[in-house]
Amino acid sequence: MRNTLDKKTLSVLQQKISEGLMPQWVVTDPEIHQVEIEKIFGHTWQFLAHESELKEAGSYVTRWIVNDPVLLVRTNSGELKAFLNSCTHRGVHLCTADFGKKKTFTCPYHGWSFNLEGELIGIVAGDKVYGEEMDKSEWGLRPIPRLESYRGMIFANLDKNAMSLEDYLGDMKFYFDILLGRSDGGMEVRGVPQRWVANANWKALQENFSADPYHVQTNHRSTVEMGISPSDPLYASYGHQVILGHGHGINVITGANGRSKFPFQATPESMWPMFERNLSPEQYDLLSRTTVFVGGVFPNLSFVSPVHGTEGHLHNYLNFRVWRPLGPDKVEIWCWFMIDKAAPEDYKEAAYRGYIGSFGSSGTLEMDDTETWARIVQASKGIMSRDKELNYNNVSNYLMGFGRVEPDENFPGRGIAYPTTYLDAISRSLHEYWFELISKDLLDAGEEAK
Amino acid sequence: MNAELHYEISNFLYHEAYLLDHRQYKEWLDLLSEDLVYQMPIRVTSDNKDASNLVYEMKHFEETKKSLTTRVNRLYTTSAWVDNPATRQRHFVSNISVAPGSRPEEYRVRSYFLFKRSRASDIETEQLFGEREDVLRKENGEWKIASRTIYPDQAVLSVMNLGMFL
Repeated sequence: MRNTLDKKTLSVLQQKISEGLMPQWVVTDPEIHQVEIEKIFGHTWQFLAHESELKEAGSYVTRWIVNDPVLLVRTNSGELKAFLNSCTHRGVHLCTADFGKKKTFTCPYHGWSFNLEGELIGIVAGDKVYGEEMDKSEWGLRPIPRLESYRGMIFANLDKNAMSLEDYLGDMKFYFDILLGRSDGGMEVRGVPQRWVANANWKALQENFSADPYHVQTNHRSTVEMGISPSDPLYASYGHQVILGHGHGINVITGANGRSKFPFQATPESMWPMFERNLSPEQYDLLSRTTVFVGGVFPNLSFVSPVHGTEGHLHNYLNFRVWRPLGPDKVEIWCWFMIDKAAPEDYKEAAYRGYIGSFGSSGTLEMDDTETWARIVQASKGIMSRDKELNYNNVSNYLMGFGRVEPDENFPGRGIAYPTTYLDAISRSLHEYWFELISKDLLDAGEEAK
Repeated sequence: MNAELHYEISNFLYHEAYLLDHRQYKEWLDLLSEDLVYQMPIRVTSDNKDASNLVYEMKHFEETKKSLTTRVNRLYTTSAWVDNPATRQRHFVSNISVAPGSRPEEYRVRSYFLFKRSRASDIETEQLFGEREDVLRKENGEWKIASRTIYPDQAVLSVMNLGMFL
C-alpha cells in the first residue's frame, strides 16, 4: 500500500483539527488504523481487569491489548503479574481459557510449563534434549513491560518508558475516586464481561461515551416515547463537560437547576455517610448533585454510571467497557458491570437487572448506539469520504460550543469544566491528543521521504 | 413420551418462531406465562477440567414478562433504530426433545436454535446459534412458556446487539 501519511496530509489534518473539524477519511483509513495500533495502543495505558476478578492466588484472566494476548495472574504472594500469553518455545497461545485458577500453565505443543511467576519450570525431556547447561531462567514468559493499577483498575502498557499510570490518568483520578472509591471495599465486578462484536470504528465508540450526551435525545428517543426519559430535548445537557487531558473526559450530568432529582444517584440513603467518609467535600458535593457520570479514558476505555430501572425502581451501577479494535471497521466490545461492594444485596440485584435492560449486549439503550456506529463506517468508505485532499470538503463537524462556551471557573471538580454537556470540547481535545500520538515521528519521516 | 405430544409441542415452537420472524411481538408475549423466567447465561472458554463453560452470575438476558413487555413496547415506538428500518430475521428451531417436567401439565423441552438476521443492504448476515431449555406449561388448554434458558455457543457474540428474542 502506498504510504500517503506524508507531511502535507498530516499538516492538513492538524489544521482541520485546530478548526474543530475532522476529515472523514480518518474514520476507516487502513493506514491510519495501522498507525493507531502502533503509536496509540502500543504506548498508552490499556485496561485489563478489575482486581475483584482475581480474588485468590492462582486466579487468572486472559485479555487482549488489540492483538497482543495477555495473561494476568495473581501470584502466590498476592501480587499481580502480566505476561505475553505466548509460549516462549514456539510462540503458541499458551492459555486459551477466559479465566480460571491454576498453579501452572502448560503449552499443548511440546509441554513446556510455567508457574504463576512466569518462570519456566518444566521442559519435557529437558536435560536429554537441551543438555543440563540450558538456563531455564532465560525462557520465562515475557512480562508485559508495565503493569499498574488505580482504585482496583488494572492497566498495562507495552511501552516500558511510558509515563506512570497515575500521571497518565491525571485529573481523571479525581472522578475515579468518586466512581470507584466512594464505598468501603470499592467496587466489584459481577461475573464476567459480556463480549460481542460491532461493525464500527473504535474512535466513534470512544467519542460516543467520552464526549457526546448530545446524541441521547435522538438516538435514545424510544425511551422518551415510552415515557422513561424526559421529553425536554436538553435533559442530557444540564451539568458540565470536563476536559481532563491526555484525551480523557467526563460529562457530569445533573438536572436543569444544577442538582439531581435522584440524590447520590438513587443509592440507599444508608450509604451516604459512607460516601461522605470516603470522599473529599468537593467530591461528595458533586456526587450528591449528579445523575449520570459518563466519560472515557483515552484511547479505548469508556464508562457510564447512570440511574436506571426497568421495573419502575431506579438504581445506579457502574459500567466499564473496552473497545478492542479488530480492524478499521470492527470492534470487539467488552462490557463489565460493577457495583459498590458495600451496597445491600437486594440493591445490587435490582441494579444488575437495570443494567441488563439498558446497557450491555441486550441493553435497549445500547442497541440503538450500535446501529448508528455501524452507519458511520458504512458511509465513510467511499471516494468522497476517503478523499485525503479534501476536494469534496468531507469533514465532520465538531464545532458545538467552539469559541462560544467558556469554562466555568466555579466548578468544584478537577479539569477544565464547561457549563453544558451539549458540547464538542472533549471530542476536540481527544482529537488533538490522538493527532499528537499518531503524528509522532511521522512529521519528520514525511520530511525525509520528500 | 408419545408422538402426539411431541408433535403438538414442536408445532407450538414453530408457531412461536413464525410470530417472531413476522414481528408479531405482542402476539408472542401472549405465549409467555405471567411468572416467566427468561434468561441467557454467558458462554465462556474454560479449561476442560472445569465442570461448566457457562456463567450464570452475569447474563445477556435476565428477564421477566414485565421487562420483556417493556422491550416489546419499545419496538413499537418510531425510534427503536435497531429495528428501523426493520431487520429481516429467521428463527430456525430443531432437535426438539420433550421430557416430563417437575409439575403435572409441565414439560421440559430442549431445542437447538439458529438465528439469522439481515440488515439493510448488507451482504454479510449476522447469526447466533445454540440450545434452549424451556419449561412449557398447559394453562387452560393453551401452551405457555413458563421458563426459557438460552445457551449461546459463542463466547463472543457475532451480532451487533441482542435486539431480537430467541
